[in-house]
Amino acid sequence: MKFLDIAMEKARSLGADYADIRIQKTQTEIIYLRNMSLKNTSLHELYGYGIRVFKNGAWGFAHSNVFNEDAVVKTVERAYALATQSGRLKYGDGLKLATERAYIDTYRTPWCIDPFTVPLSEKVEMMLEVNKTLLGYEAIKRAMFMLECTKDEKLFASTLGSRLDLTNLYIEPAFTATAVTGDDSQSRSFRDGGVAAGWEYINNLNLIEKAEKVAEEAIMKVNADSLGAEERRTLVLDPIHMSLTMHESVGHPTELDRVLGWEADFAGISFATPEKLSNFQYGSKIVNFVADNTLPCGLATAGYDDDGVPNQKWYIVKDGILREYGTTRDTAPLLNLGMSRGCNRATYYFDFPINRIPNLYLEPGKVELSPNELIADCDDAIYIEGQGSFSIDQHRVNFQFGGDMFWEIKKGKKVRPLKKLIYKSNNPEFWNSVDAICDQRYFRTFGVTNCGKGQPGQRGRMTHGGATARFRNIRVGGSQ
Amino acid sequence: MRDELKKTGEIIQKLCKADDFTLIVSHNQDIHTRFAQNGITQHIDGKNLQIQLEVAFDNKTGSASVNQLDEDSLKNLVEKAEHIALLNKPDPEYVPSEKAHPLRDLIKPSAATLELQVEQLVDGIEKCIKNAQAKEARASGISERSIVKKYMLTKNGFEGYDENASFAHSMTIKKEGIETKVSGSVTDYAQFSMEQMIEQLNNQFDSLKEPQTMEKGKLAVIMRPQAVVQWLYYLIWTFQMREADEGTNPYTDQMGKQFFGENFSLRSVVSNPKISAPLFNNNGIPTKDITWIENGIIKNMQADRYYARQKEIEPASIFNIYIEGGNTSEEEMLQKAGRGVILNNLWYIRPIDMKKGEWTGLTRDGVLYFENGKIQHAVTNFRWNEILHDATKRILALGPMEQVEHNAFVPSMLIDNFNFVDVTTF
Repeated sequence: MKFLDIAMEKARSLGADYADIRIQKTQTEIIYLRNMSLKNTSLHELYGYGIRVFKNGAWGFAHSNVFNEDAVVKTVERAYALATQSGRLKYGDGLKLATERAYIDTYRTPWCIDPFTVPLSEKVEMMLEVNKTLLGYEAIKRAMFMLECTKDEKLFASTLGSRLDLTNLYIEPAFTATAVTGDDSQSRSFRDGGVAAGWEYINNLNLIEKAEKVAEEAIMKVNADSLGAEERRTLVLDPIHMSLTMHESVGHPTELDRVLGWEADFAGISFATPEKLSNFQYGSKIVNFVADNTLPCGLATAGYDDDGVPNQKWYIVKDGILREYGTTRDTAPLLNLGMSRGCNRATYYFDFPINRIPNLYLEPGKVELSPNELIADCDDAIYIEGQGSFSIDQHRVNFQFGGDMFWEIKKGKKVRPLKKLIYKSNNPEFWNSVDAICDQRYFRTFGVTNCGKGQPGQRGRMTHGGATARFRNIRVGGSQ
Repeated sequence: MRDELKKTGEIIQKLCKADDFTLIVSHNQDIHTRFAQNGITQHIDGKNLQIQLEVAFDNKTGSASVNQLDEDSLKNLVEKAEHIALLNKPDPEYVPSEKAHPLRDLIKPSAATLELQVEQLVDGIEKCIKNAQAKEARASGISERSIVKKYMLTKNGFEGYDENASFAHSMTIKKEGIETKVSGSVTDYAQFSMEQMIEQLNNQFDSLKEPQTMEKGKLAVIMRPQAVVQWLYYLIWTFQMREADEGTNPYTDQMGKQFFGENFSLRSVVSNPKISAPLFNNNGIPTKDITWIENGIIKNMQADRYYARQKEIEPASIFNIYIEGGNTSEEEMLQKAGRGVILNNLWYIRPIDMKKGEWTGLTRDGVLYFENGKIQHAVTNFRWNEILHDATKRILALGPMEQVEHNAFVPSMLIDNFNFVDVTTF
């Protein structure tokens, strides 16, 4: 596209040390059903371009939705002027950019059926059927179903000479049943998160069967007992639950911008500081956290990041030891790292790319172990499925989590459902308490589509995963 | 811009064949200058446009949005929204678009805010960084100028134009184990003083030396205004009439009853020029002074247009926060409470139990222990699990109201027996 060339030529002529442009069109289809009322059936489109200019170690970024030569040139000039203003108050001696080479490439999420071509009536009918199933249970008073499909088309060019054509697509269905009885109300959800795939993913879900289970467990939960005072207990956590704990307590603390204090004013800093690299026991010896932006169906599997750096796979934690961070071209040199790991991503064309969590998962155990075998080895424990309340401090150390469904385990068996259960722990106590992880057969992923970060706030996406794992000696109880 | 947005309305009106439509055109012009560790890390300028159209054929609805104003894009927008509506299933809760309403006169945003330039933002940040450097500390934060213009038109006759501008600044100062933050926003940049904000930051910073660890437990707290407003955002989220009637929030059957503490009142106001208030909400409902909670009694709850019809009341939503204050100074609160902690801010608030109204969160940006009417020393952070409406019943005193954000005026609060359930490691 000629605007890519115009922008890069203008940036060079102004004397930019580096510049890039992202022309981006994002289409989002949302269908939201509350009980049997369609509260939102919509298609949104955002189309424009963002231009970054790097000059004397400082950034400027300007964006526009006007597509003509004059507007592109003015946007480059504005970005350059902002970089000049940033240069008045440089970060340290000025930022540097990690070495990178030019790429000319095309990447497209592999999909069979484009969800945007599936008739709306088919989607709505499927959702109405699910909500009808949920509301078919007398105690279910509220059913909510949200379906979101997003297609992100991007053309990227940089003064390094890169030219990238990237199309990413994801789909996310989620529904919740809320049971009300007596003086209590409890919800249970189906949520697997977003998946970078086409409509074929939905076709394979068997949502009606899942709806029946969700409704029955919501009712079971509202009638369940609460747990008493906090005690140290064994926890067994399913992969969907753990996706949230690893997001909060491993993903965010190992974003290098946060480690460097760039998020100090808003989302906070990180305890996982550079002197801990290669010597800090983040988890027990069987804990391995893999960053993998090549993960099939992963939401951060996007071909390249918004620095034009290709997707990669590496260990964040290996054999329990903190090994590396997620980095960008402007953060990596601050730790004398030669190359970026490609974690710089923006949400929309008007967003400045920021250091984002990659696809990150807990590697499955190497010994054959099923969840039932793992539970059979628990005398007195709690099993948590799905995601609930979550809250962690701004250094990413002390946290409290809930869940979506709770079971008491006695003598190796699930004996009764529970409700209103929370646990408290901290990094690294929590990950060091892992003593068993199920094997690859039980590995499941969860795609986060609403990771809030940055000022102005952006909505990031990445996929987490793991196999059911066991944590010993964690503070668990009802809220006191 | 007003004429340009209005012209969009004329085009949509001409193109739209649906039985009903609601058009909202929003235009933002923002500058965001972000800094960290005493240097600028991010600098953004640009205009955002959103043209959102909701249409209905009978009770089948569809909506679409684009961000291009040319006629082809608008034609495409109408076609998409109508296509969705025609293919959609009927919505049994559909409510026709709003009719014409008289609106208050638009108050032109302050010239100082409208004319604010990026160089001035950088000048302000330079003062913050120099202050941090003088303390051998690191400053991080953001300075932002925002100008928002909104036009709304419905098939049934509502037409409104609104405009507002604001300036916001937030900064955290950190040196070794001490970190604290101040933030705020104003509609009129001429009323903003960076020097005052730096002074407040320094006062907090200087008070936080050598934090000690305290035991968890129930303690009296003096919650400063920034913490109060953080808490209220979450209370407001769940303050919904429909959910109350369905039995999924704590307010079931509590309308008109004493549910909050007697000295807790919450209003939204349009009559105070210092607090920003939109002329109308996204459904075309004009805003007006409204009392949500008065002396602890629930007077009104938020209700959308569908549910308000069912209940034969006026639809309403909380559009700004105005909490009645008192006249107790912080010094008097210290005397009154005997012992407890002062909280500068709260962090990562999430529900534990929606029905019970129980929430969790942590403290942030500085906690001070006081005893015998005097601040004794700083303490490390706490986690709290608390039923927020119950906590209002334990308000012992209120301070004078302060402008925390351009849309929030709240006092500090002295609250007894706040439930701290854990201590953090810093």
